[in-house]
Amino acid sequence: MILLLVMAFTGVTLYEVPSLIRKKCWRELFVFAFLLLVAFIPSLLLTLGIDLPTWSRVIEYVFKDLLRMSYK
Amino acid sequence: MQIEKGQISSSQLVLLIVGFIQGSTLTVTFSYGVTRHDTWLVVLTGLAISIPFALVYIALVQKFPGKNLVQINDLIYGPYLGKLFSAFYLLFFLSLSAANLRYLGDFILTYVLPETPMIAVLIMFTFVCSWAVRSGIEVIARCNIIFVVVTTVIVGSTFVLLLQDMKLTNFLPVFVTPLKDFIHGTHVMAAIPFGETAVFLMVMPYLNKIKHAKSSFMLGLLIGAITLLTVTFRDIAVLGNTITIISQPSFEAVRLINIAKIITRLEIFVAVVLLVTFFIKISLFYYATLLGTAHLFSLRSYGPLILPMGILIISFTILIADSTMEQVSSASNIWPFYTIPGEFLLPSLTLLVAKIRGLPENQGGKFR
Repeated sequence: MILLLVMAFTGVTLYEVPSLIRKKCWRELFVFAFLLLVAFIPSLLLTLGIDLPTWSRVIEYVFKDLLRMSYK
Repeated sequence: MQIEKGQISSSQLVLLIVGFIQGSTLTVTFSYGVTRHDTWLVVLTGLAISIPFALVYIALVQKFPGKNLVQINDLIYGPYLGKLFSAFYLLFFLSLSAANLRYLGDFILTYVLPETPMIAVLIMFTFVCSWAVRSGIEVIARCNIIFVVVTTVIVGSTFVLLLQDMKLTNFLPVFVTPLKDFIHGTHVMAAIPFGETAVFLMVMPYLNKIKHAKSSFMLGLLIGAITLLTVTFRDIAVLGNTITIISQPSFEAVRLINIAKIITRLEIFVAVVLLVTFFIKISLFYYATLLGTAHLFSLRSYGPLILPMGILIISFTILIADSTMEQVSSASNIWPFYTIPGEFLLPSLTLLVAKIRGLPENQGGKFR
């Protein structure tokens, strides 16, 4: 599974990066790498089966426990 | 600097909004559990509440013609605070697209492909959406026309075919919902189908005649609300009080169609409606997130960011909840509060600050 994931990310990189370098879009390349990294971390953790806090639990904590705003 | 070169016409904007709201016809489910058979009233009050906020969005877009939300934030709050608000909005749009995608995945897994892992459905769907987003807003707006026609025909025909099963006594007694539940239901309705039109702050600037934005937006909102009302009316009249225990009332109601044992099993049409309208909805959120990111980092195009953003949306979708139940309960109890800052508070604040600072009239003088 991890191999598949890495292959998919390599594929995306190979698909986008050469044309970016050819056009000298360094800013785009930087943002692309940043976004790809941000996308890679949760997908890797999910693939490894690590239990991450879900978004609905995060907003439940913020809105129900901190701000006391919730129906029910 | 303009990243999006395409333009949409007023009628395309009307249809985009109609399609966007029709995409929420199945998410009315979140209100059914709260307000039961009075949900049709909740649709009307939700519309009434969202109209002033829609006027706020339109006023913002017309004050700064050709500028989208990220650029407006930059102009009004300055480069640092503006970037912070824009980043908040991007996260908000990202989570909305993930929530919608999750709803679609749950539906498909429950009714159409029960044995498939959700990730397969999500990857295929996001791939199609990313294709649409790569083609730009003009293409999304053009194919949306077909989808709105399909949805309207299906909603209308199922309504007519179910006329014989409808019992108007299911609506009685009217107005018995307690006030607290009514407010809760209205809030859910205003936040989920109508309030999500905040995403049009990123789309409306590309309207070719910005003067017509108001009438187009209102017409779209109205037609969308009529569709929602038709669906709600149909479900309540057919199913009565059982809607509170069924997870997909539209699906179950249409399943009951039986005309002389020949026209039966039309429920797959509901799944078709869900697919095509969610395609529009998720594409718009996806597009808004991408365009916003490109503007935030002042890039020349958002093309290279499409695939990483798609992957991010997919992993966010998996991460949004552990189970369908968690997602439904969070959507009806906490999600309405979560959407308050993005949909109602910040646009109003932005308009207020723009009024106080006298923007954009002074653009040539004091502030530049």
